[in-house]
Amino acid sequence: MLYPMRYFINKKAKGNLGLLKLKPMYKFFLLIFFISSLALQAQDRTISGKVVSAEDGTALPGVNVLVKGTSIGTVTDASGFYKIALPSAAEVLTFSFIGLLSQEVTIGDRSKIDITMSADVKQLSEVVVVGYGTQLKQDLTGNISKVSGDAIQNIPVTTFEQAIQGRAAGVLITAQNGKLGQGLNIRIRGSSSISASNEPLYVIDGIVVTNDNLSSNAASTNALADINFNDIQSIEILKDASAAAIYGSRASNGVVLITTKRGKAGKSNFTANLQFGSSKPTRKREFLNAQQYIELMREAAINNDVRAGLDPVNNPADYAGSDLEFLEGSFLDLFQGDTDWRNLETNTNWENEAYQKASLTSFDFSASGGSEKTTFFFSGGYLDQDGILIGNSFKRLSGRLNLDHKATDRLSFGISTVLSNTINNRLSADNAFSTPLQLVAQAPITPVRDKNGKLFDNVFNPAMSYYPATVERENSNFVTTVYRNINNLSATYKVSNAIKVIGEYGLDLLIQNDDRYQNEFTETGASIGGFGQSRWVQVVNQTGRVSLAFDKNFSQHSISITTGAEIQNKSISSTDARAQGFPLPELKKLISAGEPTTTLSTLTEESFQSVFARANYKFNDRYLVSISGRSDGSSKFGPNNRFGFFPAASAGWILSQENFLKSSKAISFFKLRTSYGFTGNAGINNYSYLAQYSGVVYGGEPGLAPSQIPNPDLQWEKTAQFDVGIDFGFFNDRVTGEIDYYNKQTTDLLLNTPVPGTSGLATQFKNVGDLENKGVELVLNYAVVKRSDLSVTLGGNIARNENKVLKLDGAQSQIGPVGTRFLNALIVGQPIGSFFGREFAGANPANGDALFYFNRQPTQAELDAGTAFVVPNGVYGDRYVTRNFNSAQAIVLANPTPKYIYGFNTNITYRGLELSVLFQGVYGNKIFDGAGSFLSANGRFEDNSTVDQLARWQKPGDITSVPQARFYTNNGAQSSSRFLYDGSYLRLKTITLAYNVPASVLSKLSLTSLRVYTTAQNLLTFTDYKGWDPEVNTDFNATNVNLGNDFYAAPQPKNITVGVKVGF
Amino acid sequence: MACIGFFMLGCSDDLELSDPNNIGSEIALSTDKNIKTTLIGAYDALSAPAFFGGNTQRNSELLAANAEITFTGTFNDPADIYRKSMITANADATAMWLSAYSTINICNNVLSALERVNAEDRAQVEGEALFLRGLSLFELTLFFAKPYSAGSVTTNLGVPIMSVEDRNSTGNKARATVAETYAAIVSDLTRAESLLGADRKNGKATKASAAAVLSRVYLQTANYTGARDAADRVISSGNYSLTSSVAAAFNGTHSVEDVFDIPVSSVDGLNTFVTFYSATVNGGRGDIEIQAPHFLQYEPGDARRSFYYTDPATGDTRTSKWVNRFSSVKVIRLAELYLTRAECNIRLNTSVGAAPLADLNRIRSRANLSPLAVATIAAALQERRIELAHEGARIHDIKRLGLTIVEGTNSYPFNSNRLVFPIPQREIDINKGLIQNEGY
Repeated sequence: MLYPMRYFINKKAKGNLGLLKLKPMYKFFLLIFFISSLALQAQDRTISGKVVSAEDGTALPGVNVLVKGTSIGTVTDASGFYKIALPSAAEVLTFSFIGLLSQEVTIGDRSKIDITMSADVKQLSEVVVVGYGTQLKQDLTGNISKVSGDAIQNIPVTTFEQAIQGRAAGVLITAQNGKLGQGLNIRIRGSSSISASNEPLYVIDGIVVTNDNLSSNAASTNALADINFNDIQSIEILKDASAAAIYGSRASNGVVLITTKRGKAGKSNFTANLQFGSSKPTRKREFLNAQQYIELMREAAINNDVRAGLDPVNNPADYAGSDLEFLEGSFLDLFQGDTDWRNLETNTNWENEAYQKASLTSFDFSASGGSEKTTFFFSGGYLDQDGILIGNSFKRLSGRLNLDHKATDRLSFGISTVLSNTINNRLSADNAFSTPLQLVAQAPITPVRDKNGKLFDNVFNPAMSYYPATVERENSNFVTTVYRNINNLSATYKVSNAIKVIGEYGLDLLIQNDDRYQNEFTETGASIGGFGQSRWVQVVNQTGRVSLAFDKNFSQHSISITTGAEIQNKSISSTDARAQGFPLPELKKLISAGEPTTTLSTLTEESFQSVFARANYKFNDRYLVSISGRSDGSSKFGPNNRFGFFPAASAGWILSQENFLKSSKAISFFKLRTSYGFTGNAGINNYSYLAQYSGVVYGGEPGLAPSQIPNPDLQWEKTAQFDVGIDFGFFNDRVTGEIDYYNKQTTDLLLNTPVPGTSGLATQFKNVGDLENKGVELVLNYAVVKRSDLSVTLGGNIARNENKVLKLDGAQSQIGPVGTRFLNALIVGQPIGSFFGREFAGANPANGDALFYFNRQPTQAELDAGTAFVVPNGVYGDRYVTRNFNSAQAIVLANPTPKYIYGFNTNITYRGLELSVLFQGVYGNKIFDGAGSFLSANGRFEDNSTVDQLARWQKPGDITSVPQARFYTNNGAQSSSRFLYDGSYLRLKTITLAYNVPASVLSKLSLTSLRVYTTAQNLLTFTDYKGWDPEVNTDFNATNVNLGNDFYAAPQPKNITVGVKVGF
Repeated sequence: MACIGFFMLGCSDDLELSDPNNIGSEIALSTDKNIKTTLIGAYDALSAPAFFGGNTQRNSELLAANAEITFTGTFNDPADIYRKSMITANADATAMWLSAYSTINICNNVLSALERVNAEDRAQVEGEALFLRGLSLFELTLFFAKPYSAGSVTTNLGVPIMSVEDRNSTGNKARATVAETYAAIVSDLTRAESLLGADRKNGKATKASAAAVLSRVYLQTANYTGARDAADRVISSGNYSLTSSVAAAFNGTHSVEDVFDIPVSSVDGLNTFVTFYSATVNGGRGDIEIQAPHFLQYEPGDARRSFYYTDPATGDTRTSKWVNRFSSVKVIRLAELYLTRAECNIRLNTSVGAAPLADLNRIRSRANLSPLAVATIAAALQERRIELAHEGARIHDIKRLGLTIVEGTNSYPFNSNRLVFPIPQREIDINKGLIQNEGY
């Protein structure tokens, strides 16, 4: 019998041994087998062919070819060719290779069978990258989600986090809005911090990379958008303590390991990919047209007059001084510009003015190959994408070279270097009048331009109350240019077969320029003769490491140990200059400015010094134990608590190796695993423990003022995490999956605690408070059909996370909401950022007043005064309501974070055709539309309204949730549950249809592969959310606590592209 | 890489990083120069937009709107102040509280280090710190406590008084009574006046600045003798004079008339009067419109009546007092002291400094108005109302004089709970010793 492949791997492939190193070994076994089988069987005919990789069309050596039902077989040679003598009864050939989907092919009367084999990323025997090493998935005792680079190739988005949405269980990825190049919120197994960072640690090819928000405005930027994700071989997300603890003090939020592609010895392969497409908003919102707008606004003004005892419509004497006159005179006559609102001359759809025709072009080229001694991977990429909002675009030009060289049998070197340049035409943050989507506030009776073609605005060609983004677009630029260079040099010395010593140096260099100019016609530049800004930021992030790996197998034991020491230093320096008074709009650089207003420079530094170790032990292929730990010292904390130790332990039991399951036909793999350990969080500003005075200026004189209350005891936030899980494979791994339960308890929260204002400052960093996340994750994959001409796979993941704030500072039970616009608060016993506020009831059927549920027992005085009352006829049940917003009790209204997140996908290949579909969704969260008090506020201001406001109360007896329109009167526009909407959604995230031209045609074209495809991103969205897009967290207000808010945030783009990829 | 080799031996000095952008508190208060620099920090805190940079004075005007001005801006918090329907989390109230106590705390730090100040400058440094502390405490009291005129000053609550010993303390401090708070304010300002020099320096407190604020304090407590004498000390110092016209007193840097003002330039500071009162063409938001009822207050021919303009973008009427973004923020002008002295002299039937009629007519003649024949209290108050319009004075006069604000069908008497700011919710949440104001 041929041994199952897994056996060899289990026995031999420990730790860092990759697939390539296995090949000669099992080739050898197969050869012996082949020779012996030759001797035993009489042969009738031969069959031959070539096996190539579906990924890049390269020849696959070492593929196992077997006549089904016999022990006759062979392996492919270095060029992928095989030749096999068949017994007469042979009907089916099976092709198998570790890491690739096995195929069965009916022979028929063919004498030549060419096969294309594709990767089987679902197999439990796949290699998984772990912290400072690799491991076989089946030997893992921790929880790691892997996304293969193939799965995200050529997805038309700017940054890889968007591409992995829905692909990893328990990883919630939320774009803030649809602006390109901006920040995203990533939460792995929930939010584990309140004031420190909640973002995972990003490690590319072993180096912790810079992921700071370096934006010059309130909307964050994304330093990971510099990465061309077509270079990515795999992304591993370390979720539990066992997997992550080796990253110690920075691992509480999970760790994302990114591994880029490297060359393989053999013929050089080249691929080129060209892709074109266009983007549109996923959804548009409906606003009032000119006629509806005039109707609602006039009604709002007349309602005021009637309430004041005036009748300006029927009694001309009442018109002068009436609100109707105020509206028509001060607003409508102004807004009409050079047209006439009275005969509806203009009907502008301002939302459409916020969008532009958006195209996308990308070109990628890669080459890989090498000799036995030297291998390389080279790539170049160009992406040019327009945003859906006017003026927004993102360009990236990047190149990578990964080179590996074996100098001697013992010594090898590696280098990975990437250079990239991104150019992001940015926009103002969502809360600025100049952000395009705030154009929806403009009146539909206002033309975009006057009859001479000049844009209308609120100053120079006035027809508006609010400064319009149309003027900003034509009179300003805001370009963020980043130059990025990430390098990793490594030297590996093999002391013996068991011991390797590795030295590594990593340098991540980021240079950013923000160049902004707003000429004298913009809002900012208007009264100062134009405004200009030039800002330079430099981030130097260096890592040095020596590590030692020990791998040894003897009899039934295998031991693998990794240990090392690491230092990391990061400095961020910036220079910012601003000036005003430019002689001409064409002279945009500060040298022309009349008056410099701001010149400043800053420097902030941090350093970490760490030692780490991990030991894995496996006994008898079924009992797994792993312990790991890291000791970190950090400049972020004071001398009292500068060092922290983060240990973790885990164990696994592969039941399917036990005799009682080994013979099971149904269960091909079954593993129980559990882990417990500690990780930390140091994601706070540098120097947070020091007592500080900062420089200020008064009347041109420099001053000093306290800026920080000291806390010498400040230390790491600690998360203890327990995880128990099952990995399983049924029916020869046709069905595989994972189930996990976890419990993360975070203590000593780094909390920016409010202190009494009488102290002179508002907050102090303290280690107080506890937080927990508990959840369940389920991953399931099913290979429905697995044939050479047809394969169908289904996969899915779903995760539930429950987050709860357990304790704040001392007796404090609540912090926030801060301010009056947004409702997020920290409340003990509730999830982080819970919406806390008044509960909106609807309109009073009697008079159209906005009513709020009282939500407390009214006092007799309140009942007597009519402050609290019950609306007759059970319109609002038997609950007390009030028209007085302040009198109503604020309550916990909803959770901004989804209870469930999920994704499911299917891949269908039929001969050359390939269809892959990914759905992604969230369930159980609410979204607060902070702009509701302007755009859905029953005609409170002159802002245009959403069409649902037409359902306003108009006459006694009307039962509606939209109160009476009252111009410039706050009738229910306060932030309350009125603007809280269900945020659940299901989205057809990615769909790709591709045709791979068959090998027979390719050989005529001298190509190794040719793929024509079309990909759509965000094609369909199913949601009850009333705003633009349920994937939202408005950019100027996206913090750990301020979650789930909308505020004129642009919807996600719907991208449709076509592409062609050639391999040669 | 080399360092890694040494790592095990410990090169943890690399972990001791100091902040290149900031300094430790021990350095800030270590030398004469540094303490004086810290004192500048206190001025800077006072000049915050949320405080004397203009928002506090704007909030005063919004409370006193009386249908003479309308707030049409989209910011919820000032809109709620304008409508007298503040919620306890009102961001403007919170920001004012924090800015005021930040100023007070810096002053207390300076006062704690006086022995390290050069002997010859010690009085001036102490005087400036006491001035800023007293002014901040007074402004807090005006907004967060019931007016002195409402009586019950020994039971009505003022605000927490932070002493030098309380500096940097994150402990919970309770509210003092109105009487205690006023006593602390008078004590600070009286001592400040005695210590400060008379030399005028851009944006800095002088002896006269302290006397001027003191005259406001005494007016609030109806101590007309004190108010009269304090105002007289400013006028009789001879260091200040009225500008040739009202227009000349505004939209520029420090003028001869400014007894205390806050410098603003394109580089530093923000005059939020301009932000809210001014048309967009001047770099403002155009949030505050002046309405017809206000103009009923003016006599024909009053030069101040024409100190308004029509917003070219919206057609609304706006005040010309605040059109230059880089003008200093006028906190106390000499004109106010003439009006205070006149009012008090009339009430007390005295002529300290000058006859009240002469003081009133001095202000009137600058506005091109004919002189009055008789000085009455009503005339003095009316003159005050017009002269100091849109500068943040009105609500405090309404409160001390027991007047009522009428806006449509709503009216708010001087002692209405709705004319008092709520103690910020964040303070109530943290400091269980604080008692919320009535009506919230």
